[in-house]
Amino acid sequence: MKLKYIIYVFALALLSCEDVIEVDLNSSEPRLVVEASIDWLNNTPGNLQEVKLSLSAPFFNEEIPPATGANVTVTKGDGTVFTFLEGDNPGLYNCVDFIPEINENYTLTIIYEGEIYSASETLKPVAPIDYIEQNNDGGFSGEDIEIKAFYTDPADEDNYYFFEFLSDLTPVPSLEVYEDRFTNGNQIFGFYTEEDLEAGNTIRIRNHGVSQEFYDFMFLLLQQGSEDSGGPFETQPATVRGNCVNLTNPDNFPFGFFRLSQVDEVTYIVE
Amino acid sequence: MNKLGVITFIILSCLSSILSAQEKHTISGTITDNNSNETLIGVNVIIPELKTGTVTNSYGFYSITLPEGSYEIQISYLGFKTISETINLNQDLTKNYALEEAAESLDEVVITDDVEQLSIKKPQMSVNALSIKTIKQMPVVLGEVDVIKSITLLPGVTNGGEGASGFNVRGGSADQNLILLDEAIIFNSSHLFGFFSVFNPDAIKDLKLYKGGIPAKYGGRVSSVLDIYQKEGNSNAFKMNGGIGLVSSRLLAEGPIKKGKGSFLFGGRSSYAHLFLPLFDLDNTAYFYDLNTKLSYKTNDNNSFYLSGYFGRDVFEISDSFENSYGNAVLNFRWNHLFSDKLFSNLSLIYSDYDYDLELSFVGFDWESGIRNFNVKYDLKHYISNNFRLEYGLNSIYYKFNPGEIIPLGPDSGINRFKLIDKYAFENAIYIDANHDISNKLSLSYGLRLSAFHRLGQEELNTYENNEPVVFNEDLGIYQKAEPIGVDTFSRGDVIESFANLEPRLSLAYQLNQNSSVKASYNRMAQYLHLLSNTNSPTPLDVWTPSGRYIKPQILDQFAIGYFRNLNERLLSLEIEGFYKTIQNRIDYIDGADLIANNAIEQVILNGEARAYGAEFLLRKNKGRLQGWLSYTWSRSEQRTPGRTLNEPGINNGQWYKTPWDKTHDVSLTLSYNLNKKLSLSSNFLYQTGIPATFPNGQYEYNGVVVPSYESRNSSRLPAYHRLDFALNYTPNPDSRKRFKGNWVFSVYNIYNRRNAASITFRENRFSGANEAIRLSIFGIVPSVTYNFKF
Repeated sequence: MKLKYIIYVFALALLSCEDVIEVDLNSSEPRLVVEASIDWLNNTPGNLQEVKLSLSAPFFNEEIPPATGANVTVTKGDGTVFTFLEGDNPGLYNCVDFIPEINENYTLTIIYEGEIYSASETLKPVAPIDYIEQNNDGGFSGEDIEIKAFYTDPADEDNYYFFEFLSDLTPVPSLEVYEDRFTNGNQIFGFYTEEDLEAGNTIRIRNHGVSQEFYDFMFLLLQQGSEDSGGPFETQPATVRGNCVNLTNPDNFPFGFFRLSQVDEVTYIVE
Repeated sequence: MNKLGVITFIILSCLSSILSAQEKHTISGTITDNNSNETLIGVNVIIPELKTGTVTNSYGFYSITLPEGSYEIQISYLGFKTISETINLNQDLTKNYALEEAAESLDEVVITDDVEQLSIKKPQMSVNALSIKTIKQMPVVLGEVDVIKSITLLPGVTNGGEGASGFNVRGGSADQNLILLDEAIIFNSSHLFGFFSVFNPDAIKDLKLYKGGIPAKYGGRVSSVLDIYQKEGNSNAFKMNGGIGLVSSRLLAEGPIKKGKGSFLFGGRSSYAHLFLPLFDLDNTAYFYDLNTKLSYKTNDNNSFYLSGYFGRDVFEISDSFENSYGNAVLNFRWNHLFSDKLFSNLSLIYSDYDYDLELSFVGFDWESGIRNFNVKYDLKHYISNNFRLEYGLNSIYYKFNPGEIIPLGPDSGINRFKLIDKYAFENAIYIDANHDISNKLSLSYGLRLSAFHRLGQEELNTYENNEPVVFNEDLGIYQKAEPIGVDTFSRGDVIESFANLEPRLSLAYQLNQNSSVKASYNRMAQYLHLLSNTNSPTPLDVWTPSGRYIKPQILDQFAIGYFRNLNERLLSLEIEGFYKTIQNRIDYIDGADLIANNAIEQVILNGEARAYGAEFLLRKNKGRLQGWLSYTWSRSEQRTPGRTLNEPGINNGQWYKTPWDKTHDVSLTLSYNLNKKLSLSSNFLYQTGIPATFPNGQYEYNGVVVPSYESRNSSRLPAYHRLDFALNYTPNPDSRKRFKGNWVFSVYNIYNRRNAASITFRENRFSGANEAIRLSIFGIVPSVTYNFKF
């Protein structure tokens, strides 16, 4: 819940000041970053999938180095092996014959620089987006446009959702994760707002079904560098550990997560 | 255990050396301000030729037993004219005194022979005391006199920065301070997230902060006691005073119910900056208010009754979609009873309600949480002889904690009703404290407090395998919540868990010569309530939780030594103290611990320890046109949470890390200069080491967003904090005989506009995609004007 965010942003906005400053930072050794997100978009066969591997870098570096030359495979519960091949784009590994199946278990195996990394996850279903609601007098000034994407949560199970809002306004997407602890069985919404949003802007809204492990991971990850952090209410920064392990050398664990989701997507044009 | 044994033995052997009787008589009474009839706390009552004396207690009562004879007695108190008279003590006497305010004397160099000698002699150490008069003269942000911010200018007290609520004493956290207002516990001491304190300075008579050497009558929090007493109200005549400022205003009315016997006090303070917000086209509201009320009645020489109430509230609203209000409400009934001229008693019955309400109509729910408690205290002060005084009593508190309830607003809200389970607890203590002047040079204060805590039954409590609510996942290398294996149910009368602790307290003072002394103290304190907060400073959403099956009480041991000296005929005074404290059972949080609406807090916490040590230095100039002090504290405050087994890393790899309020150097220089009767200037200069921070040492990209990766906890620091404030106090007609009097205070906070960093955040710029370090600073230069009046 974004309760804390709302409270202190308001209070500090009254009197405080933000400046960009120069800070000297240390650098750590690079680590492998695994972005293995298998998205099965509704009404598509889901056979084209991509895994992105990169490395961590010093904080003020402009470029994120890709991790090239790795061997990437995903094994389905029934034994089928899908191979991901690095094409012309370094760090991007593609598969053309993937078979997604709801609630099936998959295992990811990566061999990079002589070390074996592995992760295991289930492909989670998702409730479809029912409709989009736009509110034109939202935010603290009462003038911001707010978008709510409504969906209906199934009552008989624990569900977790990962929302992506990609607008043509900014290069950086807006990400949210939700659990159904307080909303089980109800029609509830994913929330998006952006200060300079106006009529004519296009927003791609995607709702992914995810596991509790991914919810915990993303919840923590979004606290690390987002607008939510800062101020006296900042929680202690943490090293976010995903579900991938380094079988060869456990201390050299990778960042990132292996996620498989059913995805519902709606493209909305702001009115 | 050995430590405890030795100290208990010392206490018992001292008790057996009480002096035997000669023909003695007791002189006792109450000392008041002759103008308002307000009782005065801490007035010195001295018999110079016997080199002995005492002070009035929190209700203005004193008692001293002397051999038969004829003596000069001196009554003195800062700001009042000293009374000196001869008394013939051949029987027990009741002598009440009414002191007259001393005229403002600018070049005063008073020969205060034996008067302040008592503070060198008294074993009481580690106390920060400020008079309300001094506090009101200090320059402050937005012209708001803030009792708590003023205390941070003395050694050993700091806070987490501007915008951080609460305060930190000798490296302790903000939830380790016992804050008492007329004997009632206050849970949240700040308005508007720490910008202002909840205490209206016009209603306050006396305040003292105990940083160490804490007497046995106090308990329940390990780091400090902030003991504040409200005024009773003028029982002679009706008076009003108040002030109008830029952000808030105050008005206080006091007067007699029955002249000389009963009085009332009614004070209010409210902010109104929110009324200007519509000018900026913002449909928002942010305000706070306080109400201090008190009724006092003295039925006869032996009985006085008081009924006090405090109500404070903070309210925020953002255009109907978000409403937040919270505050303390305290109702307090007290009865002072004199059993004899040597035995004074006070009975307090207190009801307190701290509640927090948050309504998010754009999501569709209302959140309510709070703490209620009923408190009975009975304190006795037994003035046995002129060099032996005993204090004993009991304290009993019953708590009901509502950790939170989510209430949907309307049938079409997408939120379900959810109630976190109420928790109940019973905290009790009995204590005995002796103040013993062993010889002319050596004074001791020793005591014992026995505290007990019972966590009472609640609807449901999870059970876990091996009683471990947190498990370590070796594959992923993270701590995770353990799945409960069952649920225990209890009735309200059951006891889930009990704790009992012996808390010995000991302090001594040894007078080296007329002007200097050495002091030492040891205390052990137990704390049964914990404020769950994994942010750098408390937020009103943070929940107080009682100790129980999975949470152990915090236990502190503190040692302190000090050197006290008066210089130049008491023109200057010097206090140097060193302290060392260790705390067992300090809670720490696993990474990503989500404390909001968490019914099973035990799944996200781990048990650790904390320690702090340092040296404090205070040089005061007490008289003359230029007065003030220089305070310097050097300290370290850290904590660690090692893994429970060799396979677990603990938090931060089990290494010591600095707490968010650790400041290596903390310097304050506070000065005031009386130019003439109309004008006085005051200024503060502060310099503090920057607070610890965790900086990134790398970045990576995931799902289109940049994620910083961090080095070990709190291993870097923000830039140093420093600022300079000025204030000018202008009284247009100081000699006016009119009933209405006013004065102006013009102040400038942070006069060279330093952008002190409250935090530095590292993130990706949403529009350019580049990584930046963003410094948040709260107050730049802030000028303000306040008009104070009284009639």
